[in-house]
Amino acid sequence: MASIWLLQFPSLTFQHRVSSNGTSLLLHHRHCLSQRLNWIPPTPKRTFSMRAINDSMSSEEDNRTQNEVVDTANSTLVVDSKHPLTLFQESITSFPPVGFLMKNFPKNYFAMGLCITIAIMVVALRAYAERKSSQSHPGSVADLVRRGQLRSDRRGISRPLKYDDPFNNPLVKVGKSNSTVEMCGKQYRLAPVTLTEEQQAIHQKRRSRAYQWKRPTVFLKEGDSIPPDVDPDTIRWIPANHPFATTASDIDEDLAQNNVYQQRGVPFRIQAEHDALQRKLEALQKEEKLNNLFIDSRNAKDFQRPFKLNDKSEEPVEQGPINDSRVETKPTKPERVSNSSESNLSSEEMQQP
Amino acid sequence: MLSLQLFPSNPNPTFLNPSFKPLSNPQTLKSPNPYPKSRHAPISSVLQWNRKPELAGETPRVVVITSGKGGVGKTTTTANVGLSLARLGFFVVAIDADVGLRNLDLLLGLENRVNYTVVEVLNGDCRLDQALVRDKRWSNFELLCISKPRSKLPIGFGGKALVWLVDALKAREERSPDFILIDCPAGIDAGFITAITPANEAVLVTTPDITSLRDADRVTGLLECDGIRDIKMIVNRVRTDMIKGEDMMSVLDVQEMLGLPLLGVIPEDSEVIRSTNRGYPLVLNKPPTLAGLAFEQAAWRLVEQDSMKAVMVEEEPKKRGFFSFFGV
Repeated sequence: MASIWLLQFPSLTFQHRVSSNGTSLLLHHRHCLSQRLNWIPPTPKRTFSMRAINDSMSSEEDNRTQNEVVDTANSTLVVDSKHPLTLFQESITSFPPVGFLMKNFPKNYFAMGLCITIAIMVVALRAYAERKSSQSHPGSVADLVRRGQLRSDRRGISRPLKYDDPFNNPLVKVGKSNSTVEMCGKQYRLAPVTLTEEQQAIHQKRRSRAYQWKRPTVFLKEGDSIPPDVDPDTIRWIPANHPFATTASDIDEDLAQNNVYQQRGVPFRIQAEHDALQRKLEALQKEEKLNNLFIDSRNAKDFQRPFKLNDKSEEPVEQGPINDSRVETKPTKPERVSNSSESNLSSEEMQQP
Repeated sequence: MLSLQLFPSNPNPTFLNPSFKPLSNPQTLKSPNPYPKSRHAPISSVLQWNRKPELAGETPRVVVITSGKGGVGKTTTTANVGLSLARLGFFVVAIDADVGLRNLDLLLGLENRVNYTVVEVLNGDCRLDQALVRDKRWSNFELLCISKPRSKLPIGFGGKALVWLVDALKAREERSPDFILIDCPAGIDAGFITAITPANEAVLVTTPDITSLRDADRVTGLLECDGIRDIKMIVNRVRTDMIKGEDMMSVLDVQEMLGLPLLGVIPEDSEVIRSTNRGYPLVLNKPPTLAGLAFEQAAWRLVEQDSMKAVMVEEEPKKRGFFSFFGV
């Protein structure tokens, strides 16, 4: 703040006319200050006097200025318009020290400023905290995208990368002649490529002479005979201890090709496994049925209910310790009929091929 | 090191992809708002801002990325160029043709999503579309692995299988790919033969050292014997400071030895290792690294079937006079 005032001060026009009237000087000075520096003029009780040292001032005027109420904290200011250093000193000494300002200026302004600052800080902090919480909101869809469970390009929360031209990089500065480049603090020179088409052709001829190679189409293990009408250059011998020698070529090529071209439906092996499982399940179910029928016919007595007195055709209940269990398992008439029908069925199934 | 493509050298770029509509003729169009003042300072360049490359050649373009020598950056190149192409709006399928050692899924961060491979497709355990892993970052990029470790394809059968694969991908009604990139394994044996079988063009990745160059030369000879004539070169892991100090061959020296057109020059960048650790290819970095920018430029040239016309050679910085402090 002092620097600003310092800058502004040289432009002040004191117009300190050395006049016989010292008060006009005082008033004018105060007016200039209030205009330039937006300084609230002090209360009439507190005035700053400036005593212009002038030989022409009479003693009467001196006395008049001395009678004004002056704050004792200030030192007298000697106006000397000629020397800038004195102006600088004036600027420092003319303004009251900060402590004085704090004392005398209304405390309301300071408090207001403090409150405004605190309010701004609170608003800024809240905005920052809200932004932070919205970004790292736990359990949001953004977490799913982050974990790879959701595609980010379909959601509005992610912004697609904007593609920049890699040949127009602002970090790369091209010189005016387009032959020098400055990048990352280093200087580069653009050296043109000198390879011509004739040179390329020469290299191709050189390589065709140096490297004679044919794609191998026949792979033989040790001990295999060379098939007739096969270019020996296309034969490749696999050593017996080579890991690839142990892999048997038992892949059906047609089947493999069909598998690759399949676009819809269940893959071949999965379908085959599924069919095999299905058949196995059916077979198991049949076995279970047979077993269930077999158990029923044998252990039918175990599950028979106690024989009723009014039914004379039923078998008599056996006596003994086992009787209790057997009594309960004696079948009634309808059960016997159903059992007989089941046994007929099972015998029919057994006879089926 | 980066290069500037000042003028597209392809005089008659063919436009074959119906889904891609260029803004207009690249030589005459001027963008309505080329440089937003808040972001970019004006750059003295004849190029447009935010243009897209024009696809040249027949689709799908089947490109094999090979080198001969291992560890020169084939897989890194495949991942970064592939994602750059996807970002440009093309449908890309990347095939990791390394039958025994699979790495491309690691570089792309998709290792936990590879459930089926081509071996399962051949055996009938799944369909081809079930074996394709779609990248969630760019849905028009898909990965296909040949096999999991410990499984092998019989020799002589792999080449046919890859040809069927390419045909099946071409025959897809939806998402028929514009580019099929095949990451070739190191060496020149069965894996190499399998990988180059369906390819129409090749990108040879090499580093500026003599061992890599000798292998690259041999591989180029084999590719030409097999009928692949469109071969371009990417020189990887270039150290401009070592070239300046004459401790490393320059890119022009490499080109003089191999006699191949240049697709790109990739500077040595430690960000490559960090991107591998993260499973996040460095072309997706914001802001882009030097190597990422170089990969993007290489992808651009691949689309337009173009090559580099100039390379950047590091020089001593200009000595500034006394008044340079004042901007004079």
